[in-house]
Amino acid sequence: MAKKSPDAFLPLKSNWFHILLCLVEVEQHGYGIMQNVLERSGGKVRLWPATLYGSLKRLIQAGLIAETGDRPAPEFDDARRRYYKLTPLGRRVLDLESERLKDLVRILDLRRRQEARP
Amino acid sequence: MRPLVSGCGRLYRRVARAFPEEFRAVCGDGLEQLGPDIAPLVWQQRGVVGLVGLFFDLAVHLPYEYLSSLIGKLKEVTMSGDVFEGTWKARIDDSQWDTGNPTPQQACVRFEATDTGYLMVAYGIVDGQAVAERPQTISTDGRRRPVLDLGGRPIPGVPAGAVSFCSRPDPQTLQVGTEADGKMLGAGTFQVSADGKTLTATNEGTGLRGPFKVAIVFERVVPDPYVPQG
Repeated sequence: MAKKSPDAFLPLKSNWFHILLCLVEVEQHGYGIMQNVLERSGGKVRLWPATLYGSLKRLIQAGLIAETGDRPAPEFDDARRRYYKLTPLGRRVLDLESERLKDLVRILDLRRRQEARP
Repeated sequence: MRPLVSGCGRLYRRVARAFPEEFRAVCGDGLEQLGPDIAPLVWQQRGVVGLVGLFFDLAVHLPYEYLSSLIGKLKEVTMSGDVFEGTWKARIDDSQWDTGNPTPQQACVRFEATDTGYLMVAYGIVDGQAVAERPQTISTDGRRRPVLDLGGRPIPGVPAGAVSFCSRPDPQTLQVGTEADGKMLGAGTFQVSADGKTLTATNEGTGLRGPFKVAIVFERVVPDPYVPQG
């Protein structure tokens, strides 16, 4: 199967963006991702379980995240959990999407400044 | 309300188990654990509306996952119906090679179906070195098209004004040719055997080093190394 270029994923779906963002610094399991997104968004974005796992499945198939074999120490872990990590492609896509969003904000700011001028 | 919440958790787990096998293979049993785990939290935070949302999410995604796995299977069936699609490896000793060039130690060709025909890639080992030809698009509508690379640029060594064409007289055969200024530079066929296991490629014409004539017999590579298995 031909690999997609990072640009081909843009604009990134909002759910995908939130999930990738959660995995930047640390590998997470489904429940951790859900809580992280909820907290990070100040309670505004709740990924319901089927939405979350549907997105995780598609992110794995697209090569943006991968299941990781590394596990925390057993006393801190639930053996049933699967952990997910960002792939280099996922990181690249996240960076590109962040740049795209920054550009949009920059354009909006510029427009606001122009409108504010007498 | 505790029995209601725990009842909802059990019901959720049962419904979650109905997700297609393809989904469960990727996601494991995370979904069926997570739903019941968060049901009490959702109840605390959002009450009945939260529980309705939890099941609504499941009700939307369950059919969606079935539909997407069905579409995936349909695509698989459609693609495997094409006799050329796949990777083919040359039987070096059973083939006739161009005497003006060294005989390869290994030669493969891969066809990928596109909307208008195929993308063909040839690669192999010559004099111990891995080599690959430029990928070529093959449109099977018989129209003459300029010989360009995939980026639309001219290919070094190909005469200016060269055009190529391909037709499909029957499902097992592709007839290909290249000409420039009305003069045929090369013509040949790709023909898949009735059992779909071998592909014979012939090509004859005049190249940069003079006349050439090849007849290469390929065997289908099973399983296809470029298609994820399982």
